[in-house]
Amino acid sequence: MSNGASSPPILEVEGIHTFIGEFHILQGVTVEVPRGSITVLLGRNGAGKTTTLRSIMGLNAPRTGEIRFNGQRLNGLRAHQIAQRGIGYVPEKRIIFRDLTVAQNLQIAERQKGDLERKADLIFGLFPDLKRLIDLPGGHLSGGQQQMLAIARALVPDNTLLLIDEPSEGLAPVLIEQMMDAIHQLSSHTTVLLVEQNFQVASRLAERYVIIEEGASVHAGRMEDLIHDDELIKTYLGVA
Amino acid sequence: MSQHADRRLSRQAGPLLRFVRENWFYALALVVLWRFPYIVADLTGSEVMPRRPTGDSVFWQSVMAQTLLLACLAMSYNLLFGFAGIISFGHALYFGIGGYATFLLINEYQPGARWPVIIGVAALVFALGALAKIPWGRLAAVAVAVAVLLFFLLPGGGSPSVYQGIGVAILVSIALSLLSGAVTLRLRGVYFAMFTLALAEVFWVLAKSGTFHYLTGAEDGLPFRDIIPDVLNPTPTADGNRLQMYRVTVIFFAVVFLAIRRYVNSPVGRVIISTRENEQRARAIGYNVFHYKLLTMVFGGVLATLSGILFVLWSADKTVNPGLLSMNYTVEPLLTTLIGGLGTLTGPVIATLGLELGRTYLREETFTLGTQLFGLVTIWQALWMGGFALFFYVFRRGLRRVVTQVVGDPRRASVAVGALVIVVLAIVALAAQAIYAETDLDATVYKVADLWQLFQGLMFVVAVMLLPHGIVGTWNRWWYARRLRREERAAAALAARAAPSAPAAPLAEAERPGERA
Amino acid sequence: MLAYFNHLTPRHRRSWALVAAYLGFLFLVSFIDFGTNTAGQTIFRGVLLSMLIFLVASGLSLIFGLLDVLNFGQGAFVLVGAYVGYATYQAVELNSTLSFLAAAGAAIVSVGLLGAIIEAGLIRPLYERPVFQIVLTFGLAAVLIDLVERIWGPQPNQPLAPPEMFRGTFYLFGQSLSVYRLFIIALGLIIMIAVGLLLNRTRLGIIIRAGVQDAEMVQALGINVRRVFTFVFVLGAVLAGLAGIALVPYQGATLDMGNQFLIMAIVVVVIGGMGSYEGTAVASFIVGLTRAVAEQMSLKHFDAPVLAETSILLLMIAVLLIQPSGLFGREES
Repeated sequence: MSNGASSPPILEVEGIHTFIGEFHILQGVTVEVPRGSITVLLGRNGAGKTTTLRSIMGLNAPRTGEIRFNGQRLNGLRAHQIAQRGIGYVPEKRIIFRDLTVAQNLQIAERQKGDLERKADLIFGLFPDLKRLIDLPGGHLSGGQQQMLAIARALVPDNTLLLIDEPSEGLAPVLIEQMMDAIHQLSSHTTVLLVEQNFQVASRLAERYVIIEEGASVHAGRMEDLIHDDELIKTYLGVA
Repeated sequence: MSQHADRRLSRQAGPLLRFVRENWFYALALVVLWRFPYIVADLTGSEVMPRRPTGDSVFWQSVMAQTLLLACLAMSYNLLFGFAGIISFGHALYFGIGGYATFLLINEYQPGARWPVIIGVAALVFALGALAKIPWGRLAAVAVAVAVLLFFLLPGGGSPSVYQGIGVAILVSIALSLLSGAVTLRLRGVYFAMFTLALAEVFWVLAKSGTFHYLTGAEDGLPFRDIIPDVLNPTPTADGNRLQMYRVTVIFFAVVFLAIRRYVNSPVGRVIISTRENEQRARAIGYNVFHYKLLTMVFGGVLATLSGILFVLWSADKTVNPGLLSMNYTVEPLLTTLIGGLGTLTGPVIATLGLELGRTYLREETFTLGTQLFGLVTIWQALWMGGFALFFYVFRRGLRRVVTQVVGDPRRASVAVGALVIVVLAIVALAAQAIYAETDLDATVYKVADLWQLFQGLMFVVAVMLLPHGIVGTWNRWWYARRLRREERAAAALAARAAPSAPAAPLAEAERPGERA
Repeated sequence: MLAYFNHLTPRHRRSWALVAAYLGFLFLVSFIDFGTNTAGQTIFRGVLLSMLIFLVASGLSLIFGLLDVLNFGQGAFVLVGAYVGYATYQAVELNSTLSFLAAAGAAIVSVGLLGAIIEAGLIRPLYERPVFQIVLTFGLAAVLIDLVERIWGPQPNQPLAPPEMFRGTFYLFGQSLSVYRLFIIALGLIIMIAVGLLLNRTRLGIIIRAGVQDAEMVQALGINVRRVFTFVFVLGAVLAGLAGIALVPYQGATLDMGNQFLIMAIVVVVIGGMGSYEGTAVASFIVGLTRAVAEQMSLKHFDAPVLAETSILLLMIAVLLIQPSGLFGREES
């Protein structure tokens, strides 16, 4: 449900340049994420989409540029402080803790005591499988289950923005459906910024898009416009 | 611009002059080292070759020779660590094993063992090589080569000469390098570090263990005065020997330096440096990283062993003592290499020379805490101020954050922090002096020699934290950065003259996010 | 408990089998070679040594697992703990139990402070340069050992009398041993269990174990990992210091203690697998018992306990060649 018109964007990224070592990865990325929407970062492999998410999360602090969350500057804050502001991160390759049980994986995400209890209904409503697996070590879960867990983990504390990186990667189609369903449901009270390589998935999930090409944001707009713009799709995404 | 000048000069001058221009420093250093005994003799009024081994010149010949050999050790360590990125915590093993291998062989050799050893070693080489999946042809050649080598090194009758002993010591060194490399070089660097530490420790314990006193002399050391020919003995019974040995040492030092330089600048060396930078990329290009690292290890090990053997010859009591295998001779080159400059050619040498000569020169000096440093502050005050400065340094970021919040403007905050630090340090200095006046601290007299090790350790910490590239390294970077800046400015000036300012290429216009259709 | 065994990977199950086989082999060899009494004594010594090694190695393993730094200074921490404890024990003029407690307290505090300063001031800033971190801990260890020598002199210090309550003796396998040895073993076991509980039952422990796997992800969950780093480093240092003071009534305080324990701890971590707590515990027994048996054997056959070091090294070589990631470690990529 897009609400971009009436309220200020929940996240504003302005012209950030991020370096990894000496490599100039992001060369001017600007992204606006409207409150309550699902926005997707599109682009080819290596364009800088993951780095953008990491920059927002504070894992690779940008050298120049501004990042504002609910109007407050995130620049200079460390990753855990940014997370505490209410941003959840679901990284590529769903880094769940293999040696910890599913329960412990969820517990560790608590920011206040009782978070998990309060969110239990929501989480197990979205991902009923997790209830069954609750005492298994994370490493024993299948890829799809791990992805569910990774997303569930981001739902435990009171996050108002979720950064999700390539959720469909390595998942079978039926699981992708399940996952998209879950994301749709949770987007009703959480804003989502997505990175998705799979255009089919992206086009069905997201309302807005930003295209990143060679480290810079080059295009943005509404997904319903992009779907019909074959020219644009071919130029920047190289896929029909 | 400077490139222009370079080209003009070299067109006229030719390779010889270029060689001189690039190497004048080394040539000068070599001359100074060569004439060193005479320089000292002139400065102190002593004799270079007196009839009895006393006098300043004689003393300093010995000191300088040992220092040069320690510098060789540091250079060999730098080869491993600085150039190839191999962290070894057991380098002392190669340093000490030289003396032990050489003289143990001479002492314990039985001619009857010759053929069993040759065959046994060749068989072992063959077996291990087969385990390592080395192709048969090459393996056979290597085994035969080793056998032939041993044939010449192990005499048919009588004891081996010192030179044969040295040859065997080199083989032992190579074997140890290969062992270490085979077991751990393919794993993460940490494993190699741990393994070398453990290996060196084992040999050290074995060397000083009383059980083997009959072999090694344990803590008393392995004496060899009676074994070596006069020509290798710097304690002159014959005249001129010390000077001769000194010259041999200088030549050895120069050869080691040149050999390392040649190695590093060779294609092999370049591969190794690229491996250190980015091992995955080197592997992706197709280099067998393992082989190159192993080669470097063997080379560095052999250099260390040779240095160790010469070092032992210069020892005053002519014994090989277990201390040579101790952690000391691993930590020293590590420290001096880091202080001097990891990965530079001259860094370790300069640092070793500076620290060793400094330590010897100041060894008799004493000081109290009240001694003035450069006429400004006393040592006591300097210690306190240093402590506080360190404290501020460690917590600088937190400090700056707090002050920024108080003052508001980040620029003014920096000034405020600076002022705060200065004020606090001044107060500390005054307070320290007041306390000092009330106490009896002046009663304790310290010897420089005792605290030198500590000083070195401190320099090491400072180097690692503040000057990761060492003294020479930081100098090099500053120098090259300056040259680069000059060239850039020249190039920019040239370009500006060539074309009027062209409009910068327009960046892709991003549709403003949030725009509604 | 059973759940633990059910969830083991086949590789880990194999490791447990190997461990059991090896320990069985050690016991068998001792009984055959030494006879029941001496074998029993040797094994007792081995267990004692294992506990001490575990104290040092657990810190090493945790620090490496979480901070990715191999703290070569662990040996130096043992040394500092021993010497500071020794000095305090002698200086404090109260009854021996209180003296000992004071000594332990002094050891813990001094080593803990040292650890905190080193971690915050020297290791953390070098996070981008892991090579330098290792080198720094190594160099620092050398500096610390040298400092200890400067302050307290190079002569070895004889063991001090243990506190009153542990001064009794008991009979084991025909030998009269000090009760204090039982105390050391008990201490080791208590700590082993306590740290194990910390890691498995508390939130901090879960954070540590998660951090061992991916510290960045933990940070992204809103947890200030740096503080956990410091805690773990200090904990590791304190455990090593504890080993040091525990040694004072048993072996005294000598300068080469530090290195001895460092090497053994290193071998433990290699054998057990970096970052694995169970691995460290099990490997501590392996190393401790191996060393005790090897010492006894070389004592019996060569009249000197020299070969113990070599045996440990051989163990290390064997493990590095066969399974470098250790018995219970994660696979090295």
